[in-house]
Amino acid sequence: KKFHKQFYKLLLGVSGTSMEKNITLGSAARIELSCKLDNKYSHLKSPQVTWKRGNETIGHISKTKNSWSIQLKILDNSNLGSYSCTLKGEEEISAVFNLQVPKIGGKEKPIVSYEGDTAVMICESLDYTPIAWTWYMTNGSEQIAINDSLLADKYAINRISANVTHLKILKLTKEDDGVYWCEAAFELGKSKGKLKLKVLSFMVPLKPFLAIVAEAVILVTIVFLYEIYSKKKEKHA
Amino acid sequence: SFPGERKEEELEAPAGEKSSGMEAAAGGWAWGVVFHFFLVNVLVMGMLKTFGIFFVAFQEEVGGSSEQVSWIGSIMSSLRFLGAPLVAVVCRRLGERPTSIIGAGLVGGGCLLSTQATSVPFLCVSMGLLLGMGFACLYQAAAVMTAKRCRTRLAFSNAIARSGMGLTFLIAPFTQLLIDFYGWQGTLLIFGGIMLNLVPSSMLLRPLRARPPQRSSAKNRARGCLMAKEDPETLDGCLDETSPGETQLRSAQDLPTTEGVMTVHGRDVSGPVNMSALEGFEKRPMDNRSSEIATEAKRSYKSLPATEKENSQPLLDFSPLKDPVFGIFTWSFLFSHLAYFVPIFHLVARARTLGISSMDASYLISVAGITETLSQLLSGWVADQNWTKKYHYHVAYLVLGGVTNLLCPLATTFPLLMTYAVAFAVFCGGFMALVLPVLVDLVGVQKLHSYLGFAAFFAGIAAIGGPPLAGWLYDYTQTYVCSFLFAGACALISPISFFFEPSAQKWKLKKANL
Repeated sequence: KKFHKQFYKLLLGVSGTSMEKNITLGSAARIELSCKLDNKYSHLKSPQVTWKRGNETIGHISKTKNSWSIQLKILDNSNLGSYSCTLKGEEEISAVFNLQVPKIGGKEKPIVSYEGDTAVMICESLDYTPIAWTWYMTNGSEQIAINDSLLADKYAINRISANVTHLKILKLTKEDDGVYWCEAAFELGKSKGKLKLKVLSFMVPLKPFLAIVAEAVILVTIVFLYEIYSKKKEKHA
Repeated sequence: SFPGERKEEELEAPAGEKSSGMEAAAGGWAWGVVFHFFLVNVLVMGMLKTFGIFFVAFQEEVGGSSEQVSWIGSIMSSLRFLGAPLVAVVCRRLGERPTSIIGAGLVGGGCLLSTQATSVPFLCVSMGLLLGMGFACLYQAAAVMTAKRCRTRLAFSNAIARSGMGLTFLIAPFTQLLIDFYGWQGTLLIFGGIMLNLVPSSMLLRPLRARPPQRSSAKNRARGCLMAKEDPETLDGCLDETSPGETQLRSAQDLPTTEGVMTVHGRDVSGPVNMSALEGFEKRPMDNRSSEIATEAKRSYKSLPATEKENSQPLLDFSPLKDPVFGIFTWSFLFSHLAYFVPIFHLVARARTLGISSMDASYLISVAGITETLSQLLSGWVADQNWTKKYHYHVAYLVLGGVTNLLCPLATTFPLLMTYAVAFAVFCGGFMALVLPVLVDLVGVQKLHSYLGFAAFFAGIAAIGGPPLAGWLYDYTQTYVCSFLFAGACALISPISFFFEPSAQKWKLKKANL
């Protein structure tokens, strides 16, 4: 399999003492990360720049005039993480590259539905196509995978397109209220999105509705009575 | 006639009290009608505008492609216009108040029924059809009642009522809040309840008093004359009024210079009226009290002997379609509606493509809304001053609005776009406020139902075609610029028909004289 090489660069010493770059990888890739020294350090005779991942130092640094780079083959989850280049000197100046899987956005606002009704929860990952989707529901502090073939009359998972998944929950009850997770499996790892479901009973909106209807009825009565009153007044006049 | 007159003087005293009471009541009821129309505007337009928020919720839960779901909104807003001729018939049969109550019931019922929706076709009927027809009923009844009750201040009252649309910007966040709390079904339930509030306000549409019987007509006439004692012009009118030979021709000739209320009598064969006298009456910037007196007097004139023909209009009255004045009005109405709706749809989108954030874009909309409301009020007030014929203002606003739209593509930064939005809102508010008064001027109040019905029908065709056309323009040219140019062109085409108004009136006169 041939991969295109991706290049990422950071300038050392530009703003503050540490710089960060987040790199999202949807699938396996070849990456070259390089750190370039800013001009204000050009006076240094032999600058020392080291590359580290976590605490391990990485060898095989290729150095050109002012930049230090490493070549990486990212093939699975273990290759992801934070890679940093550090300039040794009076102060340590470093730049960090964060290699990560794509994040799934959940919904912040809860999805509101009613008892006995159906709720549809949607998760999507538009920029990167996941290999598979899994849904979890939260029971206490545990996350339990939802098996829609086992509970076919309650749950239905549909993959609408490669990037979008729907979880349909039928015959809602109060117990279905809570937090749900949709997990996307990518070549390089998994990523979760959070969704909240709120299940209400019919009484909840019914109360304001009845209040408003009562108010309307009262107004109708008032106008009606006023009309009768003014008609009587006209008759007597 | 002397003994007769003395008798009438004796009747004056109790009649005087009664009439002042009735005048006050009439003025009060006119405000009630304006308030109801205001409420209708707020709720109807609010519902139509917030449909977009429901759109997303429907799509997720009920399923269906975005095209299918947008049909619901289209049916809802277009039926509001297309249903008008049918509603006009119902209104004439049952009266405005029952029609309005039916409309409120349809809207409330439709909202409640929609909470049970499980599919898009269901929603099309429950939300699209029921709400659309309900809106048409409410709108037609309220508009015609306003025209009937507020004779002198029609433009201003209409503008006040329409300013209700300016408040609709509050409804959108309110709807969003409700949806976050109760979901779309709960929100629709609550909206149904709110719409039911239109029932008590519909009851404010008190029917104008029926024609007084023959005997009291003389008393009314006398009262009208005696009330007007301070006003020498009208006193002349009262004394002059007898001759049955008083020509309609003369009254019709006054048409181009008076408010169209006078054209009412063009249809009645009995015309023992001196129009110019009443005209003088009307032109005085008095409040509704005087207009009620004039109405009373006029009505009593109508019921005088000579040849009194009953209003024998057929139930579905197609005569507006044969009237050139109607053609003029509808042409203008149609194009001006196209010119109004399209930029509104695409203003935010255009702002986005120019890189303006959605917060700033929503400021554009809010500012435009507020400006439009203020401009409507000002335009209505100015038109009521009667410095010139109302449709001259209408034409001026349309032309200026068209020019503004044509210049819009030049607005590429936020300040420029804001300037465009404000200018557009000013001119739109101006011409929108005058639509009903201009129609009343051209056509009169008696036939208003049929004319308004059919005019709204044609506007409905524009309303259906407008957004898809605009969307197609965007898809074809990949820029929103064309929508604004199109709207500008429409706005400039629309007033052309008014240039034919004087010749159309002359044609009508000739026809009437034959």
